[in-house]
Amino acid sequence: MSTQASPASGASGSIPVTAAGVSDRWERWGDRLNPLVVKEVRQGLRTRVFWVCFSLLLLACLVLSLTAYANTQGSSYAREGRTYFFSFFVCLGVVHFGVIPFNAYRSLAREREDETWVLLLLTGLGPRRILRGKVASFLVQAALYASAVGPFLLFSYFLNGIDLPTILVVLLLGGAWMVFLTLASVCAATLADGRLGRAFVRFALVGVLAVTFIQALTFAFVLTQGRGNGFSFDRTFFLGVCAGLGMMLTDGWLLFETAVSRLSLMTEDYTRHPRRALVVQALLTFAGVVVVWWYVDFNKDVAEIAGIFGGMHLIGTGLFTVSDVDGQARPLRAGTRPWSLLKPGALRGFRLTVLLLLGWALGCSVLLAMSDGSTSDTLRGWSRMGMAFTAMALYGVLFLSLALLLGRMPRSDRLASPAAVRLLFVAVTTLASGLPPLVAVFLGMDSADPLLNLLNPLVGTVNFGRYDYDEPYGTRMTPELLLCVALVALLAAFAADRVLAERERRAHGS
Amino acid sequence: MSLLEVKGLRRDYGKLRAVDNVSFSLEAGGILGFIGPNGAGKSTTLRILATLDVPTAGEVLLEGQSLVDAPDKARPLLGYMPDRYGTYDDVTVREFLDFFARAYGLKGAQRRQRVDSVMEFTGLGPLSEKLTTELSKGMRQRVALGRTLLHDPRLLLLDEPADGLDPRARIELRELLRALADQGKAVIISSHILTELAEICDSCVIIEQGRLLAQGRVEDLLRSSGDSSQVTELVVRLAAGAEGEAMGARAERMLLEQPRVKDVTREGSALRVRLELEPGAGPMQAEAAAAVLLAALVAQGLPVCAFSPRERNLEDAFMTVTKGRVA
Repeated sequence: MSTQASPASGASGSIPVTAAGVSDRWERWGDRLNPLVVKEVRQGLRTRVFWVCFSLLLLACLVLSLTAYANTQGSSYAREGRTYFFSFFVCLGVVHFGVIPFNAYRSLAREREDETWVLLLLTGLGPRRILRGKVASFLVQAALYASAVGPFLLFSYFLNGIDLPTILVVLLLGGAWMVFLTLASVCAATLADGRLGRAFVRFALVGVLAVTFIQALTFAFVLTQGRGNGFSFDRTFFLGVCAGLGMMLTDGWLLFETAVSRLSLMTEDYTRHPRRALVVQALLTFAGVVVVWWYVDFNKDVAEIAGIFGGMHLIGTGLFTVSDVDGQARPLRAGTRPWSLLKPGALRGFRLTVLLLLGWALGCSVLLAMSDGSTSDTLRGWSRMGMAFTAMALYGVLFLSLALLLGRMPRSDRLASPAAVRLLFVAVTTLASGLPPLVAVFLGMDSADPLLNLLNPLVGTVNFGRYDYDEPYGTRMTPELLLCVALVALLAAFAADRVLAERERRAHGS
Repeated sequence: MSLLEVKGLRRDYGKLRAVDNVSFSLEAGGILGFIGPNGAGKSTTLRILATLDVPTAGEVLLEGQSLVDAPDKARPLLGYMPDRYGTYDDVTVREFLDFFARAYGLKGAQRRQRVDSVMEFTGLGPLSEKLTTELSKGMRQRVALGRTLLHDPRLLLLDEPADGLDPRARIELRELLRALADQGKAVIISSHILTELAEICDSCVIIEQGRLLAQGRVEDLLRSSGDSSQVTELVVRLAAGAEGEAMGARAERMLLEQPRVKDVTREGSALRVRLELEPGAGPMQAEAAAAVLLAALVAQGLPVCAFSPRERNLEDAFMTVTKGRVA
């Protein structure tokens, strides 16, 4: 570029070279770093929040350790480690579970509000690298805070009463939780575009962070007090820790990919990564469920829990997948086939969600059928919970389809936006859950009446779960009724699929 | 071949058509003014050109390559400055530019050299260690322009760059843009300040309700919009004296009685007279009508010290072409 001669008044030609003293090695190392990390850490360390938090953290830990010193000075063998470890952990928790995630949220939200986001995108960095840099910079700041508390946490070990495995497990889980919260906060920052929406998300995030802060500390307290002295890896605890870490890892990844996708431009293949993350998460989780199921001697509880919670998770994620916009940008259309389910567009998102939901229900049903305890009275044992989570998956398909039909079937686009479709889903599901029991009460029937609640996603699922062959006059939700639900759900899904296909054709044709 | 070619650009948001069949082109080293009332589709068009939005239909070619199909290839050639400057808190001018230079993939000595060169060009050298939040609006705007220039783009897209700047900052901006055009960069500026555009731009595009109403060189636009109108304007200045006010009132009354005078406005000691000519009347008829009017003023004994046709400017062309509708 030939921007040598300055036309600006007062511009001088002698600009001092500032990096003259920087060694080449440092500079090369710095060049390899994500630019966002450099900028965010630099910015973060200049903020008042950082220095106030850092100083308060140090001061609190110092006061606590002086108190510990004073308390244990007289006794020959004190066992105060647990209490003081937890106290230091609380200090760190305030920053790690509150300040860091909230600052990560605020940083990205401001980037979007001030429209510096688009400037970053135009540099060619890409949303993935930008978000990775953002998250990494906040983890660096978290590490700086941890460096202040680290020596004190170690000091608590020498106060006796707490063993090293407990300290390590609590810190490992705490660290993973902090990373997960940071990713969730970054994702939350991408949720709303309008001022009102942003205010709501901010308010909700503060509430969620406050609640999860208390939960995390309660968990840490139970862990340190219950296992602090003489840590043992029993089977249930081990499975719990693995499940927790697995959840944080895969959901964290999914949230990160969702945030990247929401910040990508329309011209990019923005759904590929989050949808792939969702599929991989479902497959990994199912593999994990199979391993756990095998590990606990083919216990059917594992399949039941996985069927219910996995189904709920897939409906939740499906709500975002199906409410994508219609069609995709021109450059992406060429390589798109009907089975390119990872490509952008509500049509492919809907098909993927239906497949995942039904696949998950089928997988868990097979697992349930193969479980111990189901073999003696196979049909009875299997059908009860198997029908429940199959019904839940079908209700999921039905109500997602209904929301899409209501939002996108009319010619008017008033209710066609992603947010409107999500709201419609919530509204329709709430209505379908609340109305039939009310009608039943008015008609003098049982509020959980099986026929009246056949399409009730909440009571219907519970009713299918209660099905009992031994009680012919009790609540009976027979497999034939499940077939009816399946028929309605598949019809609705077919209609929604056609509507989305038509809208996509229109979007591409215009 | 033009550096930028926009062909039949269209952008729909649901039923709203924000940009409708807009086509224009721009050569390297040219400055194009993008004019239109609020909601005309200027920013939408600029966002499409900046690869931040996708057109519903149409094509945009940058150096012959489709910007819609290959936005990643086009981005290194583009410099986009939105209407908000987009600076960060707690970052100095040098750090801000250094960060963006890193983001553009510049490394080591090349990056330092580039940042220095841009700071020198934009006159930010003495402010390099100042926080961006401490700068005036004009200086922040220069920082934003500097950021836009870091990767040496061929095409600059500036959305309302002069908005909110004081006269000095505007003049300096004008000089900077002219220097950039002299270096062979193509510049597109959207602005409301039409007098500014007339002085900077080589050509203009006027859009309203997303539709292109007029385009071409500034002088051609002024001429064509003037020819199509049957209204011509004159400025009459009376010699200031003790009876200036009374004289002005008398002249106004007298002018309004003249057959072709449509409207008279008093602007201090001057009178702005709007003449309505017959359909199809040309410059000759306008001159003849003006001569009749001058003779009448002199005959009434009014001290006319200046009598001239009012120069048409971009504002007149804009007002003639547009109707103030919003998409």
